[in-house]
Amino acid sequence: MNRAEILEKIGTILNSVLGHSNFELNEELTAKDADGWDSLTHMIIITEIESAFGVKFKLKDLNKLQNMGNLIDLVSGKLSEK
Amino acid sequence: MTFNSIEFLAFFLSFYLLYWQIVGKSLKMQNALLLLGSYLFYAWFSWKFLALIIISSAFSYCCGLSISKAENEKRKSFFLYLAIFQSLGLLLFFKYFNFFITAVADLLATINLNPNIHTLKIILPLGISFYTFRLISYILDVYNEKIDAANDWVAFFNYVAFFPCLLAGPIDRADNFIPQLEKKRQFSYAQTVDGFRQILWGLFKKIVIADSCAPITNQLFDHYQDYPGSSLLIGAFLYIIQIYADFSGYSDMAIGIAKLLGFNIPKNFNYPFFAQNIAEFWKRWHISLTSWMTEYVYTPLSFIFRSSGKKGVMLSIIINFVLVGLWHGSNWTFIIFGLLHGLYFIPLILNGTLTKRNKTTSNLKMWFGIFSTFAIVMLTAVIFRCESISMAFEYYTHMFSKSLISKPLITTGYVVLMITLLYITLMFVTEWFGKNENYGIAGTFIKKSRALRWSFYMFLVISIYYFSFVDKTQLFMYLQF
Repeated sequence: MNRAEILEKIGTILNSVLGHSNFELNEELTAKDADGWDSLTHMIIITEIESAFGVKFKLKDLNKLQNMGNLIDLVSGKLSEK
Repeated sequence: MTFNSIEFLAFFLSFYLLYWQIVGKSLKMQNALLLLGSYLFYAWFSWKFLALIIISSAFSYCCGLSISKAENEKRKSFFLYLAIFQSLGLLLFFKYFNFFITAVADLLATINLNPNIHTLKIILPLGISFYTFRLISYILDVYNEKIDAANDWVAFFNYVAFFPCLLAGPIDRADNFIPQLEKKRQFSYAQTVDGFRQILWGLFKKIVIADSCAPITNQLFDHYQDYPGSSLLIGAFLYIIQIYADFSGYSDMAIGIAKLLGFNIPKNFNYPFFAQNIAEFWKRWHISLTSWMTEYVYTPLSFIFRSSGKKGVMLSIIINFVLVGLWHGSNWTFIIFGLLHGLYFIPLILNGTLTKRNKTTSNLKMWFGIFSTFAIVMLTAVIFRCESISMAFEYYTHMFSKSLISKPLITTGYVVLMITLLYITLMFVTEWFGKNENYGIAGTFIKKSRALRWSFYMFLVISIYYFSFVDKTQLFMYLQF
């Protein structure tokens, strides 16, 4: 799975959890840019990503995330470990 | 030597002059003077407990460096746990030891065991809940590689003991504060004016609002049996206003004083009474504590429970809020206060309010949200104020009795009450118009007219001057935590 495909799949999850698509889906996207993506919804989004890609994250990995690009790095890293 | 005292004014004026005039040219001198000033400020309250701050700072500083130099994960974890054990251990001992001992004794008594357990005479060191949280977040951030370990001990010790925020917050984070200590502060006229304006608004809230509410609420809560329900409802209303005006006023002063010294501290309150639901309220109330708890308690918990879906989120929120309550002190009232606030989130999680945002809220819905959130927060604060659960229960019973619909009896007199209510209205109206700014009068509705703006400032100054003679005995409420 390439980066664009991962991004698209995460985008679908964001639309479904947040209930809107009022954000620009790119690698620079941060939680602050998407209305409703806060500390409470964050873990719901993460859980959805885990089940969609069939991967498991570590809390330490999540603590380092700064933007969508980092999240894609993390997912593709986990996918390559499979 | 609280912010609204003459002693602090004398201390700060001398410090301010030295800071900008004498040592202003050198970063090292600025930081050295800042540390000396912070320690002098704390020693004024308690020179004995100053040693505790210095030892804790040194301990976390060394552990931070050891974590960054550790060659393997095992050593990193060892220094992390060591630092947390020291700082959290200190907090647990000073704040919760007697509570824990008494709870254990009570528990054993229920199974007919009466152990000979004694409590200790422990004095709570001022500001310990605030500076230990600064230490814990620092060490966790170093461990999680969010920040580099500090290698300038003066800067780090300043981060722990920065005097405007030392006694009652805001609980600033190392990633915001330490970089500011690594650059020489430049005097800025705009920042200075902004700082003075924020101090003015903080003083107004503290001296005019909070200190006017205090005598009325003290009387009503201390003798609640003697008052009709209508008076007790007024007591509950004035108490939530008092705690907001007191603590947000204190925070405005702390942030304003920090600005005068060239520092930017994130805001601690974001007009919480304009929140439309309880989740929004907690994003706006005591932000430095709630964001700390979210990052270091809620997030790890919700990560652990994530496979349980919404149930996991609810459980994490409830544990988080019980701990928020407990942070305020070792009393069951605080635990119940936190538990209730955690439970208030459940409907929001179940009906999806937390995830799905509905942008097109009608005016009616907005005002309903604001008033109902205020009412819930106000009624729950009664438990926070009461000395025991049974007292809170009796207060509620008296309040929701037939006498709720009767003429309220106010010992301090109706004129005092009316003046207080007028000033409270003024505070809310000002904050409503300034709600997109960092603090109530940062922009203000009278921005366009200089004359009007200055007249408003003068009105605030005169009110503060007049009210400062009314009650000089009220300390800042959050100094007790």
